[in-house]
Amino acid sequence: MATNTENTTDVTTVERFFDHRTRERWLRRGLYGIAGLLLVFLWIPLAVMVFLSVAQNASTLFPFEGFTLQHYAATFSDPGLMMALFNSAQVATVAACIATVLGVLASFALARREFPLKSAFRTFGILPMIVPGVVLGIALLIYFRTLLSAIPVVGDLFVPGFLTLVLTHSVYGFPFVLLIVSARLYTFDEQLEEAARDLGASPLETFRDVTLPIIAPAVGAGFLFAWIRSFEDFIRAFFTKGTMDVLTTAMFSMIKYGAAPKMNAISAFIVLVIAILLAVAMNLGNVTQYVAGGPDE
Amino acid sequence: MAASTDTNNRSLLRTARGKLALTAGPSTIWLGLLLLAPLTFMVTVSFMNINEAYNIVWQPSLDNYGQLTGPGLPWESSFWNTAFMESLLLSYVIAIVTTVMCFSLAFPLAYLLARKGGRVFKVVIFLVLLPFFTMYLVRAYSWLLMFGPNGVLNATLLKLGMISEPLAVFNFGVPAIIVGLTHAYFPYMLLSLYASLDGIDFSLVEAARDLGASRPAVLKDVILPLALPGIISGSLFVFVPSLGAFITPRFLGQGKVLMIGQLIEERINSLYAIGYGSAGSMFIVLTIVVAFALAFRYVDVDELGGV
Repeated sequence: MATNTENTTDVTTVERFFDHRTRERWLRRGLYGIAGLLLVFLWIPLAVMVFLSVAQNASTLFPFEGFTLQHYAATFSDPGLMMALFNSAQVATVAACIATVLGVLASFALARREFPLKSAFRTFGILPMIVPGVVLGIALLIYFRTLLSAIPVVGDLFVPGFLTLVLTHSVYGFPFVLLIVSARLYTFDEQLEEAARDLGASPLETFRDVTLPIIAPAVGAGFLFAWIRSFEDFIRAFFTKGTMDVLTTAMFSMIKYGAAPKMNAISAFIVLVIAILLAVAMNLGNVTQYVAGGPDE
Repeated sequence: MAASTDTNNRSLLRTARGKLALTAGPSTIWLGLLLLAPLTFMVTVSFMNINEAYNIVWQPSLDNYGQLTGPGLPWESSFWNTAFMESLLLSYVIAIVTTVMCFSLAFPLAYLLARKGGRVFKVVIFLVLLPFFTMYLVRAYSWLLMFGPNGVLNATLLKLGMISEPLAVFNFGVPAIIVGLTHAYFPYMLLSLYASLDGIDFSLVEAARDLGASRPAVLKDVILPLALPGIISGSLFVFVPSLGAFITPRFLGQGKVLMIGQLIEERINSLYAIGYGSAGSMFIVLTIVVAFALAFRYVDVDELGGV
């Protein structure tokens, strides 16, 4: 500091005062410091929330009135909330299944086939991830409610409810499966499949016995991501849910009516569940790649 | 019957066309019906006449747009003088500030991760990703606890005696929304930056240093140009969802701030005003199209990674 004020013109003189290594070390410490502060920023609100979920005083830290598990007990005995949780799990499972089947097939088209408009196909496949939730939600709501519901006979199917939720989330989850599975297929040694074919296996046998076991972890991770995306989505569900409540929409109405104690407990519980799922997904494959990655690993 | 399906499958798998139809076909149809068709329908609705009962009258009209903007033309101030246009401009400002915040916070960490790797890397990535994958609603809610006149931030500072009355900056409003959005989308920026920084050959950095370039010069002339694809894709990933945000401004604005997503949602959910909703959404869609078109001028599509 003192050196800086004494010497403003000649930088090299300043540099001579510091050993190269010392400077490197301080620079590195600075970077680590920033990284640490960032992690604090990311974690502090969640930590406070988890803390409040076991505190008697549920909405703010002071005055602290002691620990309790009663908020959890109240949360898990709330029939409306548990029903919504069950609905969410159901919607997420069906939607993720659809997204996985479609996504795995499309990944084969991307990684194995050459066809015109391939890059357009890829962009199209990733679009559900890019279109903001408000826009996708409203577009689907108007489509279901105004256009499809007017069709005779089958129209009733598209009155917003379970089916429309599943359809919405199957579209939303698709890009995640596509990105993860196609990334795996790009790095896959195709000669293994050729060898199996040369040895007399049918295409289906080759797929079942060679290809599937190799891409299985990526398929699993893709399913998991599509599932989490559906489970945690609020805005798309908010528009296409009709009268059915999923967990996020039930939580949203809870906050509107100011039920913070249950909100803390259910939120803390979700953080825990997601932590476990994420740890599993990270062991199945390269998660970083899935969120920001492209075809080249 | 079963046998004939089987032979069908076989012949489907034998020809290149059949294979393509089997792999790319189902998702094309699915997305065509549930993504392209709804979006096309929304564009159409936005240009149609909507009657008082919010039914579509199949007559082309610009009325839906007319009720969003004020009278006059874009260069007249009356054009911008409506709740919707004000909210649109505010949303742009919030989304841009959020993007800049995310970039300045994520860059040092992404740089560190790209240079380090190893076990520390895996732990840090886990710690960053966990809040990210936690329900978006939960994260917005956790900031709801932090902000506000009686929120954790103000309460703690009061308790510690560092302030004597609640600070306005920790109350609900634009700063709170920006913090919430930064928290929500920061990992997108981090991972995009990391993906492009990770590909950099750091011996280039050392070479530049050896040749006498100062640290800021290396950052400006070597690292930033090489990281450009990540910067651009990260910015898109933060800017686009911030612009259409709903939950975060709803929780952290507490009615004092209205972003465009809230305005559209309110009209759709309370009145089912499909004309207003469709036309309003078009502003978001158009902005995204322009943003991506601009991005593609500077970066190759493939370099954008997930995009």
